[in-house]
Amino acid sequence: MLVASLGLGLAWNAASGRGLALTRSVFLREGDQEIEVAEAKARLDKGTLFLDARPVEFYELAHVPGSRPLPEEDFDRWFAQLEPILRAQLEVIVYCSGYGCEASHLVARKLKDRGIPALILHEGWPAWQDAGYPEHSGNAP
Amino acid sequence: MTRQALARAAALALGGVFLYASFDKIAQPPEFARILYHYQVIGPSAHLPPMLPNLVAVVLPWLEAIVGLLLLAGVWRREAAAVAAALLAIFIAAAGSALARGIDIENCGCFSVGASGRRLGALLLVGDAALLAAALSLARSAAPQAPAGDGAALTRTTPAA
Repeated sequence: MLVASLGLGLAWNAASGRGLALTRSVFLREGDQEIEVAEAKARLDKGTLFLDARPVEFYELAHVPGSRPLPEEDFDRWFAQLEPILRAQLEVIVYCSGYGCEASHLVARKLKDRGIPALILHEGWPAWQDAGYPEHSGNAP
Repeated sequence: MTRQALARAAALALGGVFLYASFDKIAQPPEFARILYHYQVIGPSAHLPPMLPNLVAVVLPWLEAIVGLLLLAGVWRREAAAVAAALLAIFIAAAGSALARGIDIENCGCFSVGASGRRLGALLLVGDAALLAAALSLARSAAPQAPAGDGAALTRTTPAA
């Protein structure tokens, strides 16, 4: 049964036109730009604005210093508040909860659609924590 | 209703559920992979590449379909039921793990991979547990009896002890 499933699944994936690239994250689409955590930290030090795409409750628990909340689930309302700041940026870096989280990819695409260049932090908030970089808590950046 | 008839009805019900559950996932492997990512059980992560959940997204729906078809057809019923039980145990473990970690999964990926999917919750675990009980019962049950005609022919050709 398993062998038949493997054969049928791989054949369907290759021939149906609906398949996926086996070695690549399905969250990534053409045009998405990811940035590694060390490079992201270097850009933070140079003044790049970070955006937290997680729900606000998570932002308040802990976030990248200087970052602003832009939750994917309530994007339009938060974007309206942040738009003047965002329009003044050369680029922004968006992050969320890591591998299982697609919010940073979705927010980055919405920003690009509005003319704001946005990079996605690879592995998101867990990578930032694992690297031992500074954190802030509360609702202030 | 006899025990055999009950087992046949359970096999049809379980087979129908498995076959139906496979359709949308087979049609949309990337969407099913996206749901698997949300569980954060088999990756991707710092240690598990996307290859693993992607491969599961490609193969698992076909395994569900084959198990469903075998149960509906009554072929290899006990073996198919055993595989169904193993899959259900894995589903329950993955769902329970996600719930225990507080991961909010909007679509459990049980039947639909689109917007109409069910949110992961305790009720889902209860349903899966009921299906698991049925699958285990079928896997332990006696193999379906051969039709009476075949049995009679066998009796005639078997030498007396």
